[in-house]
Amino acid sequence: MTEISGFLKYEFDWSIPFREPYLQMMITGVKITLLLFVVTSITSLILGTIIAIMRISRIKILRILGTLYVEIFRNIPGLFWLLFFYFVFPSLLPFGLGERLNAYIYYPVVAGIIGLTVDNASYVSDILRSGRLTIPHGQREAAISTGLNRVQQYLYVLLPQMYRATLPPLGTRMVHNFKNTSLCMAITAPELTWATQQIESLTFRGVEATAIATVFYVVLSLLMFATVIMLEKKLKIDITSITRSRA
Amino acid sequence: MKGLLSQFENWDFYLYGSFTGGEPGGLLLNIILAVLSLSMSFIFGVLLGYSRLSSRRYVRYPCIAYIEFVRSTPLIMIIFWSYFFLPYLIGKDIPIFWSAVISLCIYAAAYQAEIVRAGILAVPGGQLEAALSTGMSRYQGLRYVVLPQAFRMMLPSFVSFFVSLFKDTSTTYIIGLIELTQTGVIISQREPDKMYAAYLSMAIGYFVVCFSLSRLARRLEKRIGVFDLESYRPEATRDEFMLLPKRKKGGEVNLATE
Repeated sequence: MTEISGFLKYEFDWSIPFREPYLQMMITGVKITLLLFVVTSITSLILGTIIAIMRISRIKILRILGTLYVEIFRNIPGLFWLLFFYFVFPSLLPFGLGERLNAYIYYPVVAGIIGLTVDNASYVSDILRSGRLTIPHGQREAAISTGLNRVQQYLYVLLPQMYRATLPPLGTRMVHNFKNTSLCMAITAPELTWATQQIESLTFRGVEATAIATVFYVVLSLLMFATVIMLEKKLKIDITSITRSRA
Repeated sequence: MKGLLSQFENWDFYLYGSFTGGEPGGLLLNIILAVLSLSMSFIFGVLLGYSRLSSRRYVRYPCIAYIEFVRSTPLIMIIFWSYFFLPYLIGKDIPIFWSAVISLCIYAAAYQAEIVRAGILAVPGGQLEAALSTGMSRYQGLRYVVLPQAFRMMLPSFVSFFVSLFKDTSTTYIIGLIELTQTGVIISQREPDKMYAAYLSMAIGYFVVCFSLSRLARRLEKRIGVFDLESYRPEATRDEFMLLPKRKKGGEVNLATE
């Protein structure tokens, strides 16, 4: 094992990831990965929508704040934000809240959720904003003329169209977000990648676990890509008819 | 004031590492990694992107498989494969730096292939037809007519991809390369009173490079025009893409959505 020489000197032992306690690590890893993905997808969609609305609002200060948010979070890697929320953020909190957070056993997962959310939300808001620009003015005018107030305009007219028009890039973004959950291993959140590395460092035989994890990521990502394509066909807005009527 | 400045006294470590091991580190290493892997994988990206459009199935399908596989794998997984498994495969140890470069190359090639494919598809089909009708071969038409136009349109996408690749180089922190994130973490652990300064330096380092480059990408987009890279679909036909950018006389690209 220690001496590496010759071509492919590795004997696979596929029983390792299926042996206790490693099996338990892998199962927990899958659970935490899915938890991180689902929670951050929802929270980043909400936060991203808020930022997008801020950036297209008429109030200047909101626009500036929104742009500032996007520039800061898009130009600094997600890994930095994960490390920041894990190591630095608790010490910024007053009233001993930080110590309590550090003592909390699942704080790595919480920090991962916060870090992934703020990172992903900046991309989501950018995508949604570009989606807003493709909606013809008439839509909003129609919404105003039916007596909807500003909130209702967004809720019932603009936002549904924004999501539909930007479905493909949003879907790609969510797949990115799913892959980014693997970065949480850097802050010791016990997700799948962390589990494979734990097995590697405990047994020096992490290749099998890594292979299983890779297959897991690839299959789920491809499924998501396929879902997006299917959804898109179903929900497609006929852009050509809109542009034609505008021309 | 002096106390504040002493918080940042390790600025040279963040910027270019310690050089004690004879190797550059810090922000410089991030830039080296990104530039090296982008340029090394460029030719593979072009080949993959073009082969994906081939009419021959045995050329097209392996390329699709490679691109989709890499695009659906987290970068960390690719890094681990080249870090843990590649030494077994080739039978000797690889320095961390090179296993990082190799994995970034594998990663970047797939994404560049997508940019190249979108760029080629964004060139109106009439261009290739015109080239063929003047008696050029398919290769000549591609080399002298389609690709030069495609590259022009790809330029903004390449710059924004470089920004994202530059950010992704921070992932090599996990296998222990002393790049900017690693330098910041090292300082903040060695001298806890400098934690805020270390994280601030990291953030500033990434921000300055990425912000200026994304500004450049945006300016290029305004000048050259942009195609929507994320929203195109694998099954979309060439004809659909011919509708997207229309060339004006001044050489500017006009998007159908404008």
